[in-house]
Amino acid sequence: MCDDTAVGQIFNLPHEKPTRTRREFVREAYCGFSGLALASLLHDEQLLAASSNPLAAKHPQVEAKAKSVIFLFMAGGPSHVETFDPKPLLNKLNGQKRPEEFGEAKYQFVHTDARLLGTKRTFRKHGESGIEVSDLFPHTARCIDDIAVLRSCHGDSVVHSAAQYELFSGRVVPGFPSMGSWLLYGLGAESKSLPSYVVMPDPKGALEAGQPMYAHGILPAVYQPTMFRPGDRPVLNLDLPKQVTPQQRRRTLQFLRSLNESSLDPADEEFSARINAYDVAFRMQTEAPEVLDLSREPQETLDLYGIGSEPTNDYGRRCLFARKLVENGVRFTCVVSGGGPGNMQWDAHGDIEENHLRKAAETDRPVAGLLKDLKRRGLLDSTLVLWGGEFGRSPDAQSATGGRDHHNLGFSMWMAGGGIRGGQVVGATDAIGLKAIEKPYHFRDIHTTILHQLGLDQHQLTYPHLGRNERLTFLEGRVIEEIV
Amino acid sequence: MLNRFFHRPPRCSFQGLTMFASRSAIYPCSGECQLRRSIKWPVTTFVMLTVLLVASIADAQESKGVRFFREKIEPVLKAQCYSCHSRQADEVQGGLRLDFKAAVLRGGDRGPAVVAGKSGESLLIQAIRHEGDLVMPPKKPTLSDKIIADFVKWVEMGAPDPRDREPTDADDSKFEEARKHWAFQPIRRMGTLARPAVLNDEGTGKSAHPTDKGTLIRRVTFDLIGLPPTPEAIEAFVDDESADAYEKVVDRLLDSRHFGEKAAQQWLDVVRFAETEGYEYDRHIPGAWRYRDYVIDSFNKDKPFDQFLTEQLAGDEIEPENRECLTASIFHRLGPVRRNAGNTDIALSRNEVLTERTDILGSAIMGLTVGCARCHNHKLEPITQKDYYRLQAYLAATEEHNLVLATPDEQAAWEAETKTGKDEIARVQKQAQAANNAAEKDRLARLIEDLEEKLPAPLPTIPSTHNDFAKRTAMHVLKRGVWENKGEPVQPRPLSVLVTEDVAELSPGETQPRSQLAKWLTSADHPLTARVIVNRIWQQHFGVGLVKTANDFGLKGEKPSDPELLDWLAASLIDNGWRLKPLHRLMVLSAAYKREPRPPKSRRLSAEEIRDAMLAVSGRLNRKSGGPSVIVPVDPELVGLLYKPSQWAITADVSEHDRRSIYLIAKRNLRLPFFENLDAPALQTSCARRESSTHPPQALELLNGSLANDLAQAFAKRLERECGRDQDKTIDRAFRLALGRAPTANELQRSSEFLREQPLSEFSLALFNLNEFLYVR
Repeated sequence: MCDDTAVGQIFNLPHEKPTRTRREFVREAYCGFSGLALASLLHDEQLLAASSNPLAAKHPQVEAKAKSVIFLFMAGGPSHVETFDPKPLLNKLNGQKRPEEFGEAKYQFVHTDARLLGTKRTFRKHGESGIEVSDLFPHTARCIDDIAVLRSCHGDSVVHSAAQYELFSGRVVPGFPSMGSWLLYGLGAESKSLPSYVVMPDPKGALEAGQPMYAHGILPAVYQPTMFRPGDRPVLNLDLPKQVTPQQRRRTLQFLRSLNESSLDPADEEFSARINAYDVAFRMQTEAPEVLDLSREPQETLDLYGIGSEPTNDYGRRCLFARKLVENGVRFTCVVSGGGPGNMQWDAHGDIEENHLRKAAETDRPVAGLLKDLKRRGLLDSTLVLWGGEFGRSPDAQSATGGRDHHNLGFSMWMAGGGIRGGQVVGATDAIGLKAIEKPYHFRDIHTTILHQLGLDQHQLTYPHLGRNERLTFLEGRVIEEIV
Repeated sequence: MLNRFFHRPPRCSFQGLTMFASRSAIYPCSGECQLRRSIKWPVTTFVMLTVLLVASIADAQESKGVRFFREKIEPVLKAQCYSCHSRQADEVQGGLRLDFKAAVLRGGDRGPAVVAGKSGESLLIQAIRHEGDLVMPPKKPTLSDKIIADFVKWVEMGAPDPRDREPTDADDSKFEEARKHWAFQPIRRMGTLARPAVLNDEGTGKSAHPTDKGTLIRRVTFDLIGLPPTPEAIEAFVDDESADAYEKVVDRLLDSRHFGEKAAQQWLDVVRFAETEGYEYDRHIPGAWRYRDYVIDSFNKDKPFDQFLTEQLAGDEIEPENRECLTASIFHRLGPVRRNAGNTDIALSRNEVLTERTDILGSAIMGLTVGCARCHNHKLEPITQKDYYRLQAYLAATEEHNLVLATPDEQAAWEAETKTGKDEIARVQKQAQAANNAAEKDRLARLIEDLEEKLPAPLPTIPSTHNDFAKRTAMHVLKRGVWENKGEPVQPRPLSVLVTEDVAELSPGETQPRSQLAKWLTSADHPLTARVIVNRIWQQHFGVGLVKTANDFGLKGEKPSDPELLDWLAASLIDNGWRLKPLHRLMVLSAAYKREPRPPKSRRLSAEEIRDAMLAVSGRLNRKSGGPSVIVPVDPELVGLLYKPSQWAITADVSEHDRRSIYLIAKRNLRLPFFENLDAPALQTSCARRESSTHPPQALELLNGSLANDLAQAFAKRLERECGRDQDKTIDRAFRLALGRAPTANELQRSSEFLREQPLSEFSLALFNLNEFLYVR
């Protein structure tokens, strides 16, 4: 059927290459099945290797550009037409019905008689690349030459929960592993003293998709996220109970180990792994608080992130945590902006001006601070930063007060670092920002690109579930070749 | 209402196809079948040609010709052409089918491609020779010269073809072969199989060392009731030298009310039991806990399994006035349900609910991944898309039906109170709409939330189902699974691979469709139902099932390690009136079960068992059975992450907080970190088997978590209470309570040394963290 060369092709080349000939494509596609069989063998081997320590660092499957990911999750859905996707025509058509030639859109609240809503934001070209960024993000704009703006993102759902599940797990239903869990499964942990997949939710409250959005789904619990709590002691169970001293607990652990070892079957890997887990836990207990201590950071760094001044203090602190985590080998960090009632998120149904000015003011400086800080420490090369929400916002007005509805057909996200070629814009929406018309990229393409930069292949990174090999990208995704 | 952008993918654009397909892909599909689907596109694009075969005139050579066709031609057609040119194809390409003679004679869009007797003029031959713009088969290198020569010869022979009628599901090669699959074969009956040796209750051979009595009673007590044996029970068993001492223990455990609590957990995992709807609102389903009690009671009463299934599938049809039956039907209400504000797409939501309810029938009851056939014929199993929608059709009239258990007066009072509350909310909502600044809007939004939370709690309810034929969803094969793309209409019918061809669809007038489904699933000759459940019980006692993939008995599932044993168990289940307790008894009395070391290996206790064991050992376990679920305190930060933190209303009576884990609320959007860390399921999809992972956060949970420390304190207090200041006695008692055995001299010494300087609570905590406590050998 397939010769070895063909199989080799699958594994050496990115699966999706637009320049291939038809014949090549067909051949590769056909050989895909043998490829999968091989992938499953590789997978079994990896599982075997992981049986004693499922978090042991693993080799990437293909060449890796990045080691870590920071996802700056703008929950609720920031407007593309107010941020990175200027639409002069939208302003001209302000208050008019959407011209029919742009086609239909299904919205959660906006009805067919809605009028288009122009933006009050002004856009200006920035950096050597001259990319247009709105006045919401003066700080981020200064980093634009490191940023690849994706103006043609799209997803499948127009409601928060389903869209958030898809953004994180590639499925519009809950129960499947998030990208953080997949990365941890594929690459293991580098840090011995910190949890390797960290989510820092917005302390203002919850999101629609809830905890299952970040979770490990069908993967073993070892790949679950660690949710950071607000305040100085972010990791649950890292602190000793009040009445216990560290010396006391150290002694208890020694005692536990001596009892465990006296009844240990030396051949039992699982028991050894358990003893090892306690050692690591103890190390986390002593070392993690040091890493997470911001009090020793120089004032200049705190200022860079806007820590100590409002409205940037909270998001700034969490962005600085993200840098420190990356520095210590944490694989995936999600820093959430937005939580609680809709208007506390980027979910500007009522008044886009008020909402976005506020949310941008909270996050712009911290985000830019993070990019600059990573860069000057030489961490940006190995850290892929992703910015965006579960969707954008409608060109149509939702309310008389100037709100916008959810919008999944075309919106902006950006990536920087981790081998991403910044200073460019990829893809485009139509003239009013309704639909991605040029080089549309789906969440699955973003997932594929992230995996690719971290040296993972969407077809090889699978986990058996109900007789099937599940993967992050569900349907096949493409690497966004323009930016890698 | 799909917009054009999604509707018409650009031709030849890979991107277009995957985007389009994803619109339909609400439910999971494997990477494998997705890849296969995506590679379909180029095929559909390039295969616009038509290959026409014309049958020959019968002649004296026919039998020879037919044999040639069967041996040389048909296998190639099946392997190379049928995926696009037969009833197996998702979409038949070029209008051409090659899987029966009449279709071959009709030809496709390009007209005749085979001229009988004239290979040189036959498009088919040109295509497989890659002579023109036709390149066949399209995704592979040219066929071998030998095969091409055979085709030429066959055409020259007049293209003889014996396939004289349109094939049905049953005729597909896939089906022919699939019917031979072990799991679709009838269960071999008792009498045709010898009683398997592993089930004998004495040791056979050298590997079968019966384990020591202390280890054995701990093993069987955890496996049957999910709790540790008391030191007294262990002592009694060790001292009992009668021949049936072990049997007596087993029978006592099978009669314990805790038996059902243990057995129920596995079933609740399998049916993805949770008491909230998930997604953003994660609404609590009032009275969902009644289903959990129903399952526990059924296992305790040893309700026949066929009846147990029938009540869940069709309880409301069979006895609409019977509360137990209505409670069983909560089964259909257990899945996640997406509800959202704004322009809800009712037909889409209905489709999602039906999909979720159909898929669980496959994984939980039949052990088949039917869900894959929602968008296309199953790529890996003999399940067609039509089969899928026929299965779904049994549920087409099933609607939510909440039965309120209150007097008319109580109901009236409740309604009045609710109305007052809702009127107040409506008033504030108007205010909020009129408000002109964000701060005021936010304040009012929060006020509305507060008011919503103050609405009266729901009345006691059975969240059951009933049939509403007026609202019955018209069932069609949905192209690519998109509810708007209605294909052929269908009525309920069992999966084709499991029935004979003459089984007709149910009539649309059938008033009890789910009863018919239950009848089929529980019939004595259904090959899957009994095998699937006995395998689950085997897994409960042996850690892994005879079929390792407990939710997948299909072609891609694992084969049984001992098919005869599996059949023997399944047949004995059916012959004994589908009673499960005798099976549990048989397994734990068997020599295989009693072996040392535990086959196949030590089992880590489940999250629930660890919590229950810590409660039992510390003397705090509240053994009360049944009733509304308990909400225990958790880290407030986690509650803050709920969309509506007020949903986590902590149970006021603190003694309830010490109840067995199965009585704690199963909330989709807030799982207890303790359970999450120790591999309790995610509550979203069916969980066939618990993982047993080991990682640092688990250690942190058991060392620093509030539950472990709280119960370690309680354990210490118990020891003080029972043993006073006698240190040796304390250590001895602690080992016996926690591990079911006396400490060794070495352990006694180390413990004494430890206790000289450390508090008893740290000693207790260390015992809770011991491998020996967390595992059952």
